[in-house]
Amino acid sequence: MNPLRNGLVEDRTGDACAVVIFGASGDLTKRKLVPAFYNLGVSRSLPSGFAIVGVARREKTHEQFRAEMKEGVSTFSRRKPIDPAFWSDFERGITYVAGTFDAQKTYEDLRLHLDQLDRDRGTAKNRLFYLAVPPSEFGQIVAGLKSAGLVQPPNVHREGGAWTRVVVEKPFGHDLASAQVLNDTIASTFDESQVFRIDHYLGKETVQNLLVFRFANSLFEPIWHREHVDHVQITVAEDIGVEGRGKFYEQIGVTKDIVENHLMQLLCLTAMEPPISLAADAVRDEKVKVLRSLRPMERSLVQENVIRGQYDRGAVRGDEVPAYREEPDVARDSRVETFVAMRVFVDNWRWGGVPFYVRAGKRLARRVTEIAVQFKRVPHGLFRAPDGGITQNVLAMRIQPDEGIALRFTTKEPGQHTVLRDVAMDFRYGAAFGSNTPEAYERLLLDSMRGEATLFTRRDEVEEQWAYIDRVFDAWRAEANAPPPLYAAGSWGPEQADDLVARDGRRWRKP
Amino acid sequence: MTESSSKVLARIERELRDVWLAPEPAGGSLPPKSRVCTMNLLVAGPRDLMDGYTHVVDEVTASIPARAILIALDPDAEDSELSGDATAVCSLLGGKNICSERVRLVAQGAVCTRVASAVDSILVPEIPTALVWLGRVHVTDPVFLSLSASAQRIITDSEYSSLSSLLHLSAWARRGSSQASIADLAWTRLAPWQELFARFFDDPRLHDHASRITRLAFRQASEAGARLGSEGALLLGWVATRLGWRTSRMGGALRFHRRDGKNLPIDFGVTPRPEGTAPSSLASVRLEADHGDVHVEGAIERELASGLSSDAVDADMVNWTLRVGGAPPIEQRVRFGANKAAKWLERTLHRPARDPALAESVAFAEEVLEDGVVCGAPSHPR
Repeated sequence: MNPLRNGLVEDRTGDACAVVIFGASGDLTKRKLVPAFYNLGVSRSLPSGFAIVGVARREKTHEQFRAEMKEGVSTFSRRKPIDPAFWSDFERGITYVAGTFDAQKTYEDLRLHLDQLDRDRGTAKNRLFYLAVPPSEFGQIVAGLKSAGLVQPPNVHREGGAWTRVVVEKPFGHDLASAQVLNDTIASTFDESQVFRIDHYLGKETVQNLLVFRFANSLFEPIWHREHVDHVQITVAEDIGVEGRGKFYEQIGVTKDIVENHLMQLLCLTAMEPPISLAADAVRDEKVKVLRSLRPMERSLVQENVIRGQYDRGAVRGDEVPAYREEPDVARDSRVETFVAMRVFVDNWRWGGVPFYVRAGKRLARRVTEIAVQFKRVPHGLFRAPDGGITQNVLAMRIQPDEGIALRFTTKEPGQHTVLRDVAMDFRYGAAFGSNTPEAYERLLLDSMRGEATLFTRRDEVEEQWAYIDRVFDAWRAEANAPPPLYAAGSWGPEQADDLVARDGRRWRKP
Repeated sequence: MTESSSKVLARIERELRDVWLAPEPAGGSLPPKSRVCTMNLLVAGPRDLMDGYTHVVDEVTASIPARAILIALDPDAEDSELSGDATAVCSLLGGKNICSERVRLVAQGAVCTRVASAVDSILVPEIPTALVWLGRVHVTDPVFLSLSASAQRIITDSEYSSLSSLLHLSAWARRGSSQASIADLAWTRLAPWQELFARFFDDPRLHDHASRITRLAFRQASEAGARLGSEGALLLGWVATRLGWRTSRMGGALRFHRRDGKNLPIDFGVTPRPEGTAPSSLASVRLEADHGDVHVEGAIERELASGLSSDAVDADMVNWTLRVGGAPPIEQRVRFGANKAAKWLERTLHRPARDPALAESVAFAEEVLEDGVVCGAPSHPR
């Protein structure tokens, strides 16, 4: 170990490496990845030996690729304007290799190029392959990397040599079978310890803070179970529509786009037991236990516990918006769900009988992601509240926007009479810590360069998530022609979603 | 007629209440004020220094909302009097009008010895308290002692006081005289240098080279013959204590030795100081190291004042270079953080409270400075 790193307070630098982005012509590269690397560089978190190599089909020069990336950083970086003195050095590390993913020559060219970078830029033979491509291309790429000798087995790094890692973007398949095929494909070349599956939600500060909030405060954990919690609501709501991605959305729908990954991960972090450490596998083991505790959504239960919907015309933020079926590239009789609400049970000692109501949708009233833990009522009503009852305490953890934590409780209004009033203790990250926090991709890319996998999804997590969701789709397929109920854009979903919780004597929050 | 201290405090408490009770101006374009408070930030120092520091505190509380209490001390004043006022300092953050509270106190004459009791009465309970002490710290100063009693963190700036006062302060805290942790703004400013220096040995093949440094050269922005500045001394102290170096004297001259006992020549040179650069700022560090048959040369060179000509708020560019054997050099250009007092204080407040390397490094640096090391011999290794 470098003795000067021992105890260094500001020690968050990635290992020297070359980052190879497959699909470098895509939006993700210039909107997210390169701006994230740029910001890591500005904050001096990039190693001195560092290079970005874009790989894509289109022929272009290094200079053309750099110019595209500069435009992307100028537009999408959280730090603006671009720092010309820093950029001039940063861009020297950006290069491009043209080639099709099915041609072995591409990988041979890449190998020679990377060898040269090791000599010129000190990238130390460490490789981070980022697959910013559709899953259908994973197979060709990992096979090409393997046959070109670009993948070192993990023991090489364990013995002090260079490392190779692969970062995979979602979707990780479209059902359990395809996820298994994908995972098998990747596993044919990479050991699981080398695979970093990105769910960018896990890179958000507030999501990371869920663990801190739960396990660094003695106040909440003792009441974080069925004795005190009435139910939990998790909402991932967007006010935008499909934004020109109708073709993509027709293939996927909100359940596969949001619920299977982001929402299930939020559920896991909310419901999991304390891990024995923050080591990647310790945390992921606990998440997998939650997934395995989910009450299977048998076909007969789906109708009762899962509501889907599709947005109709309506008004969002004061603007008239079209129905989903009127969006470009969407079938006029599309049955794809843009909203889903589910009642989920975690059948274990801690959560037995506590419903988790989860919902996700597009074109809802507002953009908000939150986890709300609703506590049980007091056992005896000492006070007469105006509406006949005392409201329940709610702990709401807001993931976005306005990240923060709010605790709702009841107080007495000043005066001669005992009039009860709900108030909230409201903690906002932006207000308390400033708003210029790193983007999720910055955290995740740096972690992958450092080999820290806690915030990445493991194979068994992905497959458990799909196994759960697959049953819902099985039931929907059995319903054959039943179209999803419509809801007005700008509302909180179809009425049936309200009924889902109303049957239990509860109602959705309006976050 | 002057107000009694308790009346001044009562008025300040009233002003603090009124800040939040006052109606928003009709038709105003600003969103309603949100009061946010994550800490008590006490800033104490001589009256002349405090005047210039108010805007620094306002900048800091824009990103770390706090109840800031600025205490201007004038113990030599003939009159014994406490005066002050309170106001809200607001800034727009993410469309919200986030407001901190700023209390200004001026303690004159004998009131200085009692000002801590006044401050105690207006601290927000249940949140951390940090004391920023401007100027030299004397651990026997009753005003310092009484104000520090409320603080969990004491922050000084050794560049503008002295390393010896920081050393005394660290020793005083270590003896258990205070539960507070000690932080130093000059130490925070050193962080980018530390990080870049550590980078020379990040490659696993070079880990062992760290203990095989054969030459080291510091160059600072000053006239030939100037004494080594605290920035260079602190960096040397940090490297030396991390690598187990020792010192000795030969005929009155200071010598450095590696952990294995070998002599280590260290050169202290100078470079012209451009306008706008602080005196004795560290300009470059160079090293050579040999292990096995691999020779390593590293350099960190700050482009002094380069930040002044950009929008980067005095954030100078730095060139980092590493040559390993006969391979082409690895080069990187990075920018130091903005050289603004508010930024360094903000960063210090965000850092972990305890840094074990601080006291050891300061002790080594102090020893070097005590020897009156003079810079100017242009004998940098090449």
